[in-house]
Amino acid sequence: MARRYDSRTTIFSPEGRLYQIEYAMEAISHAGTVLGVLAKDGVVLAAEKRVTGKLLDLSGAKDGGYGGSGEKMFLLNSNVIGGVAGITSDANSLVNYARTTAQRHLLMYNDDIPVELLAQRLCDLKQGYTQYGGLRPFGVSLLYAGYDPHYKFQLYHSDPSGNYSGWKATCIGANNGTAQSLLKQEYKDDILVKDAIGLVLRIMSKTMDSTTLGSEKLEFAVLTYDEEAKAPKAKIYKPGEIDALLQAEGLAKKEDDEMKS
Amino acid sequence: METSFAITGKGYVIIAADTTAARSIVKMKIDEDKIKTLSPHLLMAYSGEPGDTLQFAEYVERNIRLYQIRNLYPLRPAAAASWIRRTLADSLRSRSPYQVNLLVGGYDEATHSPSLHWIDYLGTSVEVPFGAHGYGSYFALSLLDRYHNPEASLEEGLDTLRRCINEVSKRLVVSPGKYKVKVVDKDGTREVEL
Amino acid sequence: MSIMEYNGGSVIAMVGKDCVAIASDLRLGNQALGISSNFQKVFPVTDRIYVGLAGLGTDVITLRERFRYRVNMYTIKEEREIEPETFAHLVSSTLYEHRFGPYFIEPVVAGLSKTPSGGLKPFIAATDLIGCINFAKDFVVSGTASSKLFGLAEGLWEPDLEPEDLFETISQTLLNAVDRDAYSGWGAVVHVLTKDKIISRTLKGRMD
Repeated sequence: MARRYDSRTTIFSPEGRLYQIEYAMEAISHAGTVLGVLAKDGVVLAAEKRVTGKLLDLSGAKDGGYGGSGEKMFLLNSNVIGGVAGITSDANSLVNYARTTAQRHLLMYNDDIPVELLAQRLCDLKQGYTQYGGLRPFGVSLLYAGYDPHYKFQLYHSDPSGNYSGWKATCIGANNGTAQSLLKQEYKDDILVKDAIGLVLRIMSKTMDSTTLGSEKLEFAVLTYDEEAKAPKAKIYKPGEIDALLQAEGLAKKEDDEMKS
Repeated sequence: METSFAITGKGYVIIAADTTAARSIVKMKIDEDKIKTLSPHLLMAYSGEPGDTLQFAEYVERNIRLYQIRNLYPLRPAAAASWIRRTLADSLRSRSPYQVNLLVGGYDEATHSPSLHWIDYLGTSVEVPFGAHGYGSYFALSLLDRYHNPEASLEEGLDTLRRCINEVSKRLVVSPGKYKVKVVDKDGTREVEL
Repeated sequence: MSIMEYNGGSVIAMVGKDCVAIASDLRLGNQALGISSNFQKVFPVTDRIYVGLAGLGTDVITLRERFRYRVNMYTIKEEREIEPETFAHLVSSTLYEHRFGPYFIEPVVAGLSKTPSGGLKPFIAATDLIGCINFAKDFVVSGTASSKLFGLAEGLWEPDLEPEDLFETISQTLLNAVDRDAYSGWGAVVHVLTKDKIISRTLKGRMD
């Protein structure tokens, strides 16, 4: 019987639910995890990559572009990094929308878009698909790690229904419940970026299905403030840099680990 | 003749504009307020073609207010000035351009500094330590080159403004009689008596 | 009264040995009345490209914002930075879009372009107000002092100048040219782009 009420996105079920939206959220809870932690002097994002394999051509991500490998982490504007979970093609479309929106704000006001405003703009778009008929909603949740002079460092989350909220630390995608309870235990209010990096990586290693962490399954980004340039500095790590970071944090995959397990 | 001045100092911007509304050679009104408060820390003095001035000033005022209602915080002075400039620049290449000259002064709460933007009807905008529009500018700017001090207290700033007004009264053939003076600083905007 | 001379201002760019320089004055005026002595006309586009915009003040700002928008969109979509040659054509097409109601700006582009062998080659170009590009090999000028800049550059410039010598040459050319122009001057800013750094200096000039 439920089928009668989920043929369209815009029809309420008798219990007052929008099934298509709930299915979209369900799809996201199976997607690769994205984890964000707001620190005193920056924001840290980490994401689990799902599309991997020896034959995947990643030569473009090695040294070209601005970092990342184009699956989970995107530079939305010079002051905002986005982490996406859900249907990748939908995410690409939203990322493109976010970037255009941010650039239009810069053109209009000669000032980087405030982080919350960017999240709001995307949510306005996403909300539209819960109301106007005939189309499928975006199957994407996002984390926005950003900086603006109004509220300094910020971390937002938005979901397919068009809701958004600000967080000190949060997680979307597979195993987000586990990650969030870990975050609740371990998060401290005045955490610094250097400690947040360790926290994020440790939680990622616990929540991910695979036993070992490595650049082929992980994307990583940090947003800090560059005192010299008087501007936020967004850094999306390249594969080599992620491996070096894991090495430094003592979480790197060891040669004989796989043999034991 | 219409005249407006603006001076920055230590943590404040003073904006002064004459209060006459003239039509041709006749004074129609002598207590016109030509300085609008756009947001809690933003002032704008406007002058130019009668009709265009008030229409444009109210358009700006309402759009700035709308941004603040929608986004919970006001535009910062530099961003507001950029938006106003862009509106004038777009208007310049439309069928009937607004002929309005502006002085936009504000206090940026994010950086704790005053900022003043000189904007003309073409959409030319530049951040200045002091600025003026109208015939008074020919006397005031050279005077301010000599006497302006970015570290001056409010009282010293008002003294400098008095010099400007006196000079214009003394040398300009048809000088305005009265001025309205407003100040914006960390506490917001207010009107002051000279 | 010409619109091109309403606000005043001048820009020049020069080629050196594995380096380029671009410089402008800092005046913004209302005809003969000076308004600001800190009006920037030269803007960074990428780490290796600068653009100078001489002409009507309002269009300096509008074009600067438009170029930034188009370059940012290019960088995002292409996932790489724009090359100077490409940017010169972007400038040209932006201006020609307004062929019958132009922006009153004659831009100057200076940058270092990548060669296939991985090295860097100096690049300069200038266009008229509707986007006709002039790819010069030595120097390009623009603005109210352009005729004087041509004269001085013709006399002072020589091929293969090292960065510091190029800085001196472009600075002397600009400062002495704007002294003969009532609409330009009030200080100057010079940028020299070399393969490993950018030297930016603000110069004092005659304030009359």
